[in-house]
This record gives sequence, structure tokens and C-alpha cells, in this order.
Amino acid sequence: MRLVRYLPHWLGGIGPRLHVADFVPETLPIRQWADTFPWAPLVAAVESSFARRFPRRSPRGRRPIPLRVLFALELLKHELGCSDEQICDRLRTDFAVMSACGMQESQAETSQAHFVLPTTLAEFRGRLDEELMDELIAIHAAAAMDEGLVSPAHLVSDTLPVEQGSQRVTDATTLYKAQKTPSSSSHTSHSNATAEPQRSRVKPRAANRTCKR
Amino acid sequence: MMRRFGRPCRGQGHVCVKLVRHTEVLLLEWGQPINTLGPQGQPLLALASDLSHTKRERLASERNAAMGAHTHIRPQSTRLTQGKKLSHCTIVNAYDPTIAPILKGKSNGPAQFGRKPGLVSEPATGFIFANRVPEGNPCDASDGLPLLDKVQGAIERVRTAPRRQIHSVAGALGINDAALRQALHQRGVLTVGIPKTVEPIQPHPSPEEVHDLLTEAGLHRKRTPHQVHLACACGSSRPVVESPIASLLSRGAGQGRYKGPLGAMRPQGMTVMAHHGATLVRIRQRHLSKRAQKIRRLLGLRRRNINQINNQKN
Repeated sequence: MRLVRYLPHWLGGIGPRLHVADFVPETLPIRQWADTFPWAPLVAAVESSFARRFPRRSPRGRRPIPLRVLFALELLKHELGCSDEQICDRLRTDFAVMSACGMQESQAETSQAHFVLPTTLAEFRGRLDEELMDELIAIHAAAAMDEGLVSPAHLVSDTLPVEQGSQRVTDATTLYKAQKTPSSSSHTSHSNATAEPQRSRVKPRAANRTCKR
Repeated sequence: MMRRFGRPCRGQGHVCVKLVRHTEVLLLEWGQPINTLGPQGQPLLALASDLSHTKRERLASERNAAMGAHTHIRPQSTRLTQGKKLSHCTIVNAYDPTIAPILKGKSNGPAQFGRKPGLVSEPATGFIFANRVPEGNPCDASDGLPLLDKVQGAIERVRTAPRRQIHSVAGALGINDAALRQALHQRGVLTVGIPKTVEPIQPHPSPEEVHDLLTEAGLHRKRTPHQVHLACACGSSRPVVESPIASLLSRGAGQGRYKGPLGAMRPQGMTVMAHHGATLVRIRQRHLSKRAQKIRRLLGLRRRNINQINNQKN
């Protein structure tokens, strides 16, 4: 496993080790969900892609966080609807999340707030590219086809509109808005806007309507 | 002051126009030599024999990224700093020019803007075989062949026999394109599920209609009438398509928090994989609709119940 940045703290804990599998029944939804993933080929694909694009410069350094943990956390984040911070917190306290991340045993000190820091997860996500994502989806689909669960014989193609917002902001209208409704948070912008009112070429009535929306 | 810049999850973003102008002018001045140094660096990089292949590739990609960034910021800065009114749909987001309006805007109202990722899914269970986040807002038909190439890549990874094939592709009226139909027919894929008009597709075609469909596609020897019947039954249906879309939206696919094509692609891909897991759990537990069960039975995907004794009772 490659070094990402931070030391996995749970490997250096003291006291008795807790077996994660003892606390997670097989019927638990998260465990059933995690069992559908072919983890070994997925992690191997991530590892080879990272090794090719981000070659290791030195063999020295601290022990890395396993890519299996980071990859599972990234998937769990979307499955459970958590933020980076929330999913990293749950990895510290939730045995089901530990099980889904492939951790067999847990041993941690009470003073440790996180097993994985949210910034580490963000760094991992930043290294994913389009080619790798397509490969991961193809591996997962191929594993499902191998198992005989799905068939690509008949397919439906469609688009998913992802709305990011609505915008009708031009430089001229924003300058007019800044002139009319100065923000208390930015005196610089107000002075800037009032200094250049002649640049606005939009009728005041139209611009006012824009501001209301 | 300018609104709606930056990441929406950080609240209403307010950006000082003056600050943006000063920063971008400085950035443009500092980045000016890249136009002359960049092309000079390319042959030098090719001649550097002491560098490893990986390092050379990385440096080349960084050089291209630096040149592309400067090219990208230059027209933006001009648009932001000249104070001129922008023409309609010229630019919708200064820091993310790869997204485009989804709807046709009107003069008295703002137009939605965002992305339209393409999906290819199985009609029975909603398992998504491939997704694609396009740049800008191209027509839906342009997603067809790239998505099928991705599905073909997944099929080639399958190790067990028999070899899977794509028999038919269905879709909405938006992907009704003559060139796409012809390309699909050349690949041996039926297009009876893609409507040509607003009229609904005949779910139970007569033998004569099946013959006509196969003749029109030129697939008499490649596809059977049974496959045509199945293709008609698996035609595009709004509730069927909405099911995986709703699943993706519930997992956060609709929230574009990150900018740029990569920023949109990563959460989309992870959402699709999380959806895969949930779909496979449903299939294993047989929590499927009657329609899905029937289609899976016709496709030969029904799991045998090993606990049931099928021998004659008496």
C-alpha cells in the first residue's frame, strides 16, 4: 500500500484489540452493501494508477493509510450521505464502517479523535482521474456480470440533469447592484462600484428586477 | 461586488470585483512569459535523456496545464474587467466555463445552468453500466457511442462464459439521430427502443413488424425475433429511467459542489458505484419489481433456488 500522508494511528494503539467482525452481523445493511464490491481488483486498479501517475520518490517515510480504507470511505460517504468530517468520525466510532473499510481489528487510544483525517480523504479524492473512475466502474460492472446478476443485452440511455444554479449576472448588473445595495462585508467593492457607475449599460429597472431574484 | 462565486456549500459567496481585477492583472503579468517559454520547453524536455519516462510525462502534463491555465484566464479577465455587458449565453460561470445552460433561457428570467451527465443502465434493475460527464451542453445523441464504448470495455473484462453482447439500446426522443442509428446498426445493435416520433413504441410487435424492423436495421442474421420482442419491451420508459436517477440524486449526484469537469466527474463516479452496491443488494435479496423479475426471467438471469426441490412430488 502506498503512502498518502498520515500515519494510521490505530496500528500504534495500546490495550486489547477488538475484533470488528464480532460486532457487525452479516445482515447489517452496510455490511451487505460492502460485500457487493470486488475490493481486491478495485484497490489494485487504484494502486497501479497512483503508482504510475505519482511515483514514489523515496522508500522511507511513515507507514501509509491503506488505499482500501480511503476508497471505502469515499464510497461510504456517498452511500450514507455524510461529509468528509462525518464519515471520518464514524470510522472512529462505528464498527459497521470499520468493517466496510476492511478493518479486522480496532485498537485506539481515547485521545485520538480520528483514524483518518478529512484532509487525507480530500487528497485521495484529488488523485482520482476520469480514466481511473471509468476503470473502477467497469471492474464493478464486470464482477456483477461474472456473478450473473446483471446483463448488458438491453440498455437504456438517458441523461441526468445536474443543476448547479441559475445565473443572469453580468458585470454591469452586479456593479449596479453593488451601487444600490452596498454590502456591509465589503466596503472595497462598494467604493469600487460607486467609483465606476458610468460603466453600467443596463437599464436600472431591469437590473433591479435581477437583484430581487 | 459579485455574487455566487466560489463553492456554494460555503454559503453565499461575495467576491470583491476590485480584488479580482487586481489579482488577475498580476497573474496575467506573471504568467506572460509562459507564452514564449512554454513552446521552448517542449523540445528541451524531449531531449532530456536523463529523465525517466514517467517524470517526463508528468513535466509535459504540468507544462500543458500551465499554458492552458493562462489561456483560460486571459479571456476571463477581459470579460470581468472591461465592464461590458456580456452577450446572452456567452458565459455562465466565469470560473467554470465547461458548464452550460440546461434550458433555453428567456429575456425576463434566469436560465438553469449545469451539467447533463449521460447514463447507460439496465432497464430491469437500474444497474448503471457507464456514465459520462460531458463538457458544455452537447446534444444527448453525442453521448451514445462513447457510453457504449465504456460498456464494451466492461464486457471485455468479464471472464466467465458465455460472452456478453449488447443487443439493443433504448432512449428518449433526444437521442433519435440518424447517424447514431446507423452506427449502432453497424455494431449489430437494435434501435427499436429509440422512438422516432412522440408516439409510444409498440410493446408487442406483430411478426410482420418484427421482420420489417430487422430488415430496416439490416440485422436479419445477427438478431432474432425474440431479441426484437425483448428490445421493444425494454424501450425507454420514464418511470424506469427515473428510478436510477432518483437513486443517484439521493446519494448527492445533483449537488455540484466542485468546479470543473474533474470536480463533477469524481462525485458522479463515486455515486454510481455506491448505487451499484445498493442495486446488487436488492438483486441478491430479490427485492425487485414484477417487471424487473419478468425481464430477468426472459434474459435468463433468474437465480435458481437451491433450497427448492423441483422433482416431481408424487
